[in-house]
Amino acid sequence: MEPAVHLAPGAENNGYATMVAQLLRQGLDERPEKKPTLARMTGRVALVVTDLGLVVTLAFDRGHVTVHDGFAGIPDATVRASSEWHTKMSLVELEPRFGLPDPRGAVAREVFEASRKGEIQVHGLLGALPLVLRMTKVLSVA
Amino acid sequence: MSHSFPSEAWTAAFADAVNANEVYRTHGKPWTHGAVAMVCSKDESLGLDDDVGMILDVHEGVCRGASLVRGMDAVAETPFVIVAPYARWKQVIRGEVDPIKAMMEGKLKMTKGHLPTMLRFVESSRALVTSATAVPTTFLDE
Repeated sequence: MEPAVHLAPGAENNGYATMVAQLLRQGLDERPEKKPTLARMTGRVALVVTDLGLVVTLAFDRGHVTVHDGFAGIPDATVRASSEWHTKMSLVELEPRFGLPDPRGAVAREVFEASRKGEIQVHGLLGALPLVLRMTKVLSVA
Repeated sequence: MSHSFPSEAWTAAFADAVNANEVYRTHGKPWTHGAVAMVCSKDESLGLDDDVGMILDVHEGVCRGASLVRGMDAVAETPFVIVAPYARWKQVIRGEVDPIKAMMEGKLKMTKGHLPTMLRFVESSRALVTSATAVPTTFLDE
């Protein structure tokens, strides 16, 4: 099934929601090898941009993604970080074999360090680790 | 000498400011993805009876030329187009808003272009736009 990225009604007024949707669409067009990863994803992840007061929820459903304005449903994981860190998280280097964050990458190391300091908080990570790692892969542009 | 925004003189001064920006020269060095247009939406209350764009021919950390154009048709061939109302550009020129944060908030809209590429060049994109803060500017509403 071909992946599809949609904006939920009302999300078109959330600049971050439109950016995330555009990033997913253009990223999947550019790197079609990520499409099977997206096809395995189910669940919801909320992204909270703490300094801008923005929230988007990504609802993944086996190849379909709906980007919502604000919290939509009960997220399996919630990522809270400043706009700077959200931008950097899209630049995390991936190791080529499994597409996991590459701990040797400069940005990946910065993100790990920020997580350790609590500047990036991921609630629900333990229960939704595969979902969060796959989301990192499909959103990364590195 | 102060230049009225937008005008041909302001656009030329902006190009000079980009070329004088060491941060842009460094981070923009790998940029080979084409020109960037910054478009000010029409606002008849300010005497802008059409959209006004500044097309920057940027390549490998250098602005090779800049032109002032009118109407969205004039930027149809430009690979990257960022659009905002006059008040937003005024905030950018005054250094009151960060352009990347403003994009996340939907205050600046990238209406055309490859977002993954722009994010890979996030520091040069920021430096390109914030070069405008170095241009002595007079505004139409003051």
